[in-house]
Amino acid sequence: MDNLLSQLHFATVGQYLVPSLIDGVGIVLEATFFGFILATIVGVFIAVGRLFGWKPIKIFLYVFLEIIRGTPLLVQLVYIYYVVPLIINLLAGMLGYKTDMQIAPLTAGIAGLAINYGCYMSEVVRAGIIAVDKGQMEAALVLGFGKYEALFRIVMPQALRSIIPSLGNYLVMMIKDTSLLAYVAVNELLLRTQTYASQTFYTIEAYSYLAIAYLILSVPLSHCVKFIEYKLSSSSR
Amino acid sequence: MLNIFDLKKNYGDTEVLKNITIRIDDGEVVCIIGPSGSGKSTFLRCLNLLEVPTSGKIYYNGSILDEDLDSKRMRREVGMVFQKFNLFPMFTVLKNIMYAPIHVKKMKKKDAEILAHSLLKKVGLDNKANAYPMQLSGGQQQRVAIARALAMQPKLLLFDEPTSALDPELVGEVLNVMRDLKKDGMSMVVVTHEMGFARDVSDRVVFMDKGYIVEEGCPADIFNHPKEERTQRFLNRVLGGM
Ligand SMILES: Nc1ncnc2c1ncn2[C@@H]1O[C@H](COP(=O)(O)OP(=O)(O)OP(=O)(O)O)[C@@H](O)[C@H]1O
Ligand SMILES: [Mg+2]
Repeated sequence: MDNLLSQLHFATVGQYLVPSLIDGVGIVLEATFFGFILATIVGVFIAVGRLFGWKPIKIFLYVFLEIIRGTPLLVQLVYIYYVVPLIINLLAGMLGYKTDMQIAPLTAGIAGLAINYGCYMSEVVRAGIIAVDKGQMEAALVLGFGKYEALFRIVMPQALRSIIPSLGNYLVMMIKDTSLLAYVAVNELLLRTQTYASQTFYTIEAYSYLAIAYLILSVPLSHCVKFIEYKLSSSSR
Repeated sequence: MLNIFDLKKNYGDTEVLKNITIRIDDGEVVCIIGPSGSGKSTFLRCLNLLEVPTSGKIYYNGSILDEDLDSKRMRREVGMVFQKFNLFPMFTVLKNIMYAPIHVKKMKKKDAEILAHSLLKKVGLDNKANAYPMQLSGGQQQRVAIARALAMQPKLLLFDEPTSALDPELVGEVLNVMRDLKKDGMSMVVVTHEMGFARDVSDRVVFMDKGYIVEEGCPADIFNHPKEERTQRFLNRVLGGM
């Protein structure tokens, strides 16, 4: 044991890598923050569209959902970052415009997280809306509220009690999944570690620091989520 | 007030309402009675387009009702009270009552509050303004639900078995509120199993069975001299103990 530790260079690696990781945390938080807010919006739109939308919209959303859930997040990220700009440039070229469109790495990453997570979160939102007594919607309708007004004023606030805890779990998953953004050139924690390890060959130390960094981010967050869940379930009204 | 012609409602292959034609006049109290599953609730819910009729026409004050165009406008004038109250659990009693006047009618908050308090007084619950629905008995909740409907100053009120979810000792307080409404001249259509209420309060009783209006008339005729055999059998059964 003594021997093993003496062969590793945690102190040296820490001196360089830890500040770099701390820098990268800003990007992780930024991606998670915007990714999660947008995912929530996407999730609500898909859920509402599938429940109350016009028939063709329901079908479209269902197909879209199947595509997103049937492909890995990593593939979606790569697709958004590399393929979508190519398609746009190609289409523009056919129309006679010469474009060289690119998507900024972080933008592509946030978009990928928002769409992918939005699809999964839409199921949570949908279940939450369905779980609210149908009489609540009807009571609002007969008072003269429109369908969407009734939904957002009366039904949604009640659905949130069951939605928020599950969405919290997605938040914790998302902060860990930001590591996938390394593959679309976002200079987050994994990419920083990879770069460092490949230059110095301190592989064991570097990735151990990386793992610890994710633990420090996700464990407190998941406890916060559990706490909110507990608060919501104990205050019964 | 309401003219219904040849109303039909199907759920898939089952015909729940068959050729319902009926008129509801201003200031009239109409009670709808009939066995379970006869389509009473469905009929009532077609009147404010909570259910969309399969065919038939509904005229509201002379103009024909179209689902998309008119349901919202009409529902501001036609209130509804449900069997299970359906109060908004996250709001206080007062806010339950003020909510629609403020947000649908754009009434000023102060005015809505004055209105809500006066309605609570009317249903005998002025001391419960700041309670939450969960803290009230069923009878009290239903009286709040009536006050909430009244806050929109409706011209017609629909009731779907307003006392069926209540403990027997709480039925009276709700029926008394409804009697007061009748005295105020409110038009009401009431689906009920309370035969005493139907006999004493209504201007007209409608007996429904298997999706048809079998018989209608003034309470004295329906209860004392029903013409149709089905009406007789139903009344014998429900009034058996009386
Ligand atoms: N959403 C629905 N889908 C399919 N069938 C329905 C639906 N709603 C009602 N029904 C059927 O329509 C018939 C009439 O129902 P309705 O609720 O109008 O009866 P009701 O007279 O109000 O009975 P009750 O006294 O039990 O309330 C019943 O046979 C019921 O099973
Ligand atoms: Mg019924």
